[in-house]
Amino acid sequence: MTKAKVTKGKRIGMTGDEAVANAAAVINPDVVAAYPITPQTIIVEHFSDFVHDGEVDTEFVCVESEHSAMSACVGASATGARVFTASASQGVALMFEILFIASASRLPIVMSVANRALSGPINIHGELTDQTVCRDTGWISLFSESAQEAYDNTFLAFKIGEHPDVSLPVMFGLDGFILTHALEGVFPLDRKFSKDFLPEREMVHPTIPGNPVSSGLLALPNYYMEVKYQQELAMDAARKVIPKAFEEFGEKTGRYYKSVEGYQMEDAETALVTMGALSGTTKFVVDKLRKEGEKVGMIKVKTYRPFPADDLAKALKDVDAVGVIDRDLTFGAPGAALYTDLKTSLYDYKDRPQVFGYIAGIGGRDVLVKDYEYIYKQVLKNKGAEKAVPVEWIGLRK
Amino acid sequence: MTKNTLNDKEMQEWIETEWGYEKLPMGGSVPYPGSSKFFKTGDWSPFKAVVDREKCTKCTTCFFLCPDSAIKMDEEEIPVMDFDYCKGCGICAEECPSDAIEMKDLTK
Repeated sequence: MTKAKVTKGKRIGMTGDEAVANAAAVINPDVVAAYPITPQTIIVEHFSDFVHDGEVDTEFVCVESEHSAMSACVGASATGARVFTASASQGVALMFEILFIASASRLPIVMSVANRALSGPINIHGELTDQTVCRDTGWISLFSESAQEAYDNTFLAFKIGEHPDVSLPVMFGLDGFILTHALEGVFPLDRKFSKDFLPEREMVHPTIPGNPVSSGLLALPNYYMEVKYQQELAMDAARKVIPKAFEEFGEKTGRYYKSVEGYQMEDAETALVTMGALSGTTKFVVDKLRKEGEKVGMIKVKTYRPFPADDLAKALKDVDAVGVIDRDLTFGAPGAALYTDLKTSLYDYKDRPQVFGYIAGIGGRDVLVKDYEYIYKQVLKNKGAEKAVPVEWIGLRK
Repeated sequence: MTKNTLNDKEMQEWIETEWGYEKLPMGGSVPYPGSSKFFKTGDWSPFKAVVDREKCTKCTTCFFLCPDSAIKMDEEEIPVMDFDYCKGCGICAEECPSDAIEMKDLTK
């Protein structure tokens, strides 16, 4: 029997997956429909234990695939229910079609993504590409640096997605194995907090018996654009709602988050920019380099969609050069996902740093302290370059 | 919760309004029942189902199988097709056990 940890207080050892399962147990969603996939399996496994042992009131829908999981989530969410799911890699890829339907239908489903490299070649280890490829699905997209942040993101995702101005699905990532399977001390929250932080979901037009509503409809050229523009406005609204949600969460828990978090940035001349679990090691490396007298800082991008373009431009305005470390791939593009978005965001600003791109940790390859130090040296070396510097793959054998 | 319904005139007006993104219900949903009544699909098909009243055994198979509910039974319990909604799929003709329904090609 797996006891759900639903009491607030002392730090408890949990893996990232356990943390997310326990956070979901505290939230006690109305419906969970999910299909197991490495490295997400433990989330679903633990949660189904909680359902079996009566620790949650959730209707758990056992489905035959991720396509069905997301479809069940869409149906459940359209009734006004609070819905949670989890997946990774191939599972997210199989959901792809329904992801667009969830966001266009404005259903605030929450999904945790145990970020894993996509096949092929088949690989089960950590990489963010399974989530970065979802950038055009219309989902709000967050990343986690630690199991604690993944735990907290479970609450934040519902808070942001269910806000009436937003009403969009939210996915949040936690790096496969590095966060999902590593044990970490996590400060838990309780049902009292959850009830207070996440009031009951209010839906304008729920599909319930006795009150027929048609949703997920056909919209031909005379309506499609209007529906899609509504989604763009919802993303704009999310830009305002997200910092407020982080603020309220901070006031209630003491753990403050930001879409763009600066570390050692006060007098930094150079900055490294990362997402997800890489951020933890980057902080360590920045501290090490600072002790050696280097004026370096780092920026952690927590919110990937809506992309915090202005926050990044502000955070990087006094820096000369930036090294973006992407644990994701996109082929034939000017660079990887975070790098291209960041560079585009800075283009209109007069005070903007030079930006260099680095691809690291693909398919779960370790990114060591010496790799970050190498990246930092490369940024210094490239600074002032008058020609475009190609994106560099770190730790690649020739 | 209040139940949202519109009468036929209101629904017709609601459908004909070219809603912009500000007032279009979120996600393009229709918060009122019965809107498909105003979406006539009868002109989609070049085929028209014609019933042979002599052959018909009043078994109602076509009535239950019509995917568009476009078949009604008349006072003699013989099917009558509603050509405002019949898409001409031909299921009724295919399934009729007495071969009493013929799909007539309107283009000939």
